[in-house]
Amino acid sequence: MSARLVPPGARELPALTALRLEVRAFLAEQVVAGAFVPHVDTWLTRWDRDFTRELGRRGWLGMVVPTEYGGQGRTYLERFVVTEELLVVGAPVAAHWIAERQIGPSLLRYGTEEQKQAFLPGISRGEVVFGIGMSEPDSGSDLASVRTRAERVDGGWRLTGTKVWTSGAHEADAFFALARSAPLDPQHRHAGLTQFIVDLRAPGVTIRPIISMGGDHHFNEVHLDGVLIPDDRVLGAVGEGWAQVTSELAYERSGPERVLSTFQLLAAAAQAMDDGRLPLDPGLGRHVARVAALHHMSFAVSVALEEHDDADTAAAVVKVLGTTEEGDIADYVDTLTATGWALDEELDTLLHAAILQRPGFTLRGGTNEVLRGVIARGLGLR
Amino acid sequence: MSGPQDGGRLAAPTTPDPDLVDVLTDLFTDYRATRATPTADVDLDDGLWQRLEDLGMTRLTGSESAGGSGGGWVDAAALLGLAAAAAAPVPLAEHDVLGGWLLEAAGLPNDGGLRTVCRPDPSGVALNVTWARDASHVVALWEDRDQWRVADVPADRVGIEERRNLAGEPSDTVEFDLDDLEAGTLVAGEVGEQFHLRGALARSAQVVGAMERIVEIVLVHVRERHQFGRPIGRFQAVQHLVADIASETALARAATDAAVARAAASDWRDPGMLFAVGVAKSCVGHAASVVVRGSHQVLGAIGTTLEHELHTLTRPILARRSEYGSLHDWDETLTTLASSAGRDRLWTLITTGRAKPSGSGGLT
Repeated sequence: MSARLVPPGARELPALTALRLEVRAFLAEQVVAGAFVPHVDTWLTRWDRDFTRELGRRGWLGMVVPTEYGGQGRTYLERFVVTEELLVVGAPVAAHWIAERQIGPSLLRYGTEEQKQAFLPGISRGEVVFGIGMSEPDSGSDLASVRTRAERVDGGWRLTGTKVWTSGAHEADAFFALARSAPLDPQHRHAGLTQFIVDLRAPGVTIRPIISMGGDHHFNEVHLDGVLIPDDRVLGAVGEGWAQVTSELAYERSGPERVLSTFQLLAAAAQAMDDGRLPLDPGLGRHVARVAALHHMSFAVSVALEEHDDADTAAAVVKVLGTTEEGDIADYVDTLTATGWALDEELDTLLHAAILQRPGFTLRGGTNEVLRGVIARGLGLR
Repeated sequence: MSGPQDGGRLAAPTTPDPDLVDVLTDLFTDYRATRATPTADVDLDDGLWQRLEDLGMTRLTGSESAGGSGGGWVDAAALLGLAAAAAAPVPLAEHDVLGGWLLEAAGLPNDGGLRTVCRPDPSGVALNVTWARDASHVVALWEDRDQWRVADVPADRVGIEERRNLAGEPSDTVEFDLDDLEAGTLVAGEVGEQFHLRGALARSAQVVGAMERIVEIVLVHVRERHQFGRPIGRFQAVQHLVADIASETALARAATDAAVARAAASDWRDPGMLFAVGVAKSCVGHAASVVVRGSHQVLGAIGTTLEHELHTLTRPILARRSEYGSLHDWDETLTTLASSAGRDRLWTLITTGRAKPSGSGGLT
C-alpha cells in the first residue's frame, strides 16, 4: 500500500455535521421560498449578489479568513462542508466563488496588511466580487507563456495585454492578473511573472463578452490597454507570480465543485426513476457510488490541506476523476431520455444545461490531459 | 490553520495500527520473495497459514475471550488488503472475518481449526465455497423459513465436489445433510443481513489491496522496460494509462476505507452500512475493469504468462468482485436506494448512507 496517491480517509465528526445540517436547512427553506431555482454548474453560471450577501451575513463566506479581517476564522473543513451543501442544492454561488476560493486565501498568504484590510472584509460580506485573469488567447494550459506585459513606470506598473475566459468579469469589481514583468527567459520560463490586483473599472480596461455555445454570457475577454497599477496593488513579490499561482492549486483542484457541478441532474434523474419517468437503470447506482466515493476522497484531501500536507497530486486525482464523473452524469442521463416519451421540463432544463456545460468541466482549472501528467509526475514517471 | 474555535474535533482519521502494518508488510514481503513461481491452480499455503496463526492474524477479529486478537475492522481490512497484495493463498476472510464472526454471533465454540463459510440453498447445497476442501469445519449460515441458523459442520459430514474459481483457488460445491443445518443455532435476523455485507466488504478490501500491488508492478515495469530507446514510462500515452490505473485504484480505496471506517465506528450497527458497502463494492468492481485491462496493456505480452506475477492479482480481482453480489446486483441495490431517496434526499443518502434521518443517534 505504499503507492498511495491520495491521503487516508477520515470520518466527519458531529461538530462538522451540525454545520452541514444548518446550511442544508437554510438552503431547503430558500428553495421552498423560491429564492433560487436549483440548477447545474451554478458556481460558473448563476450570479445572485443578494444571495451571496445573505451567505456573508450568515457567516458562510470568508470562512478561513481570520476575524481581524472580517472573516470567520474557521477551518478549511468547515468551508468544505458549506461549499458542498451549496453545490448539491444548485444554489447561485458564482458571484463569490472565485473570491471565496482563491482570492481570499491568496491575499491572506501574499497580500500586504493594507491589501488584506482593503479587500478581505468585503469578500467576507459578499460585497466585493473578484475574477481571475490567467488564460490568454495564446496561453491556456501553458500558463507560463502569458504575454500580458507589465512595464515599470513611476509609482507603479502599466499592464498591456488580453485575458480570456474571465468568468464574471462583466459583473466583478476587480481581478488578479498574471503578467510578465520581465522578458521571457527561455531557460527559466517561470521566472519574471507577477500578480497584480486590477480594478476592472480603471481607465484602459475594456471587457467584451465571450458567448458560450448555448448562448449564455459567463466568460469575457478583458483587454488591458496600459492600465496603471499602483505599487500597492502588486500582489506578493515581483517576479514570484508563478510560485504564488501554483501554490494554491490544490485548493482549487480538489474542491467539491470538481465533482458536484451536475449533482442536481443526478438527483432529478433519481427522482424521475422513482416516478417512472425514466427507466430504473443500474447506471444510476454506479454514478451515485462514484459521487459518494469522490465526496470521501475530496474530504480526505481537505483534511490533508488542513494539516498542511502536500496534496498537489491528490488534488489532480480528484479533479480528473471528479470532472470526468460530473460530465459522465450528463451523458448518462442523456442516454436514458427518449425525446417525446415523457415531457419533463425540469429534467430537460437541467440536462440540456449540463450537456452544454460539460466540455468546460475537464478544461477549466487545468485540462485533464495536463493533470494526468501531474499525476504521472507524482508517481515518479516525469 | 488554526483549529476550530470550539476546540471540538472535526474529523477522525481512520488508519490501521502502524505496528500491525509493519509486521504484515515484512511478513508478506518475505513471503513474496521466497515463494515458488506462480501456478495456474492455487492451493492453500500451510506454512504461511501457520506463520499467520503464530502472529495471531488468523483470529485477528475474534474477541479475546474467544481466543481471538480483538482486532477491529480497520485492522482486519488492512490485513486482508496486504495478504491479497501478496496473492497469499490463505482463507483469512472465510476463516476469521466471516466464519469466526458467525460462530461468535451464534455463541458457538471455536476450536481454531480452519473454517470456511457459505450460505447453502434450501436443498442444503452451496456453490463456490472457497477453501472448503481444506477446512476442518464448514460454517453454514442457513435461512430456515424466516429465521437464520448458524451450523458449524465438520468437514467429514459434508459432501465436497472439488472445483476451482477464475483465480484457480479451491471453490468447491458443498452438500450438507439438512439435519446438520436444522440443528444449527438460531441467530438474530441482523446476522443474516450482515453476513452479505461483511462478505462484500471483505472482498472489496482484498481487491483494493491487489490493485495497489498492481500499481506498484506497473510503476516498476514502465521504468525498467525500454522501447524506442527510452523507458516506456516516458511516453505520454503510457503515463496517462498509468495515471488512470492509479486514480481508479485510489477511488476504490477511498470508497472501501469509508465503509470500513463506518463499520468500525458503529460495530456494523450504522443503518447506512448497506449503502456504504454498496458504494465500495460498486467503485471497486468498476475500478477492476480499468485496472485489470490497463495493467495487462502496460505489461505487454510478458504479463500474460504463467510465470509473471500479474495474473496472481488480476485473476483473484475478477474472481472476487463477483462474490457476495455481482457488480450489477450492487449497482441495482444502490439504484433502488437512490431512486427511493429521490431528488430531495439523494445527498442525505450519500452523506449518511440512509435517506431519512433517524433519531437513533447513529452516525451522520
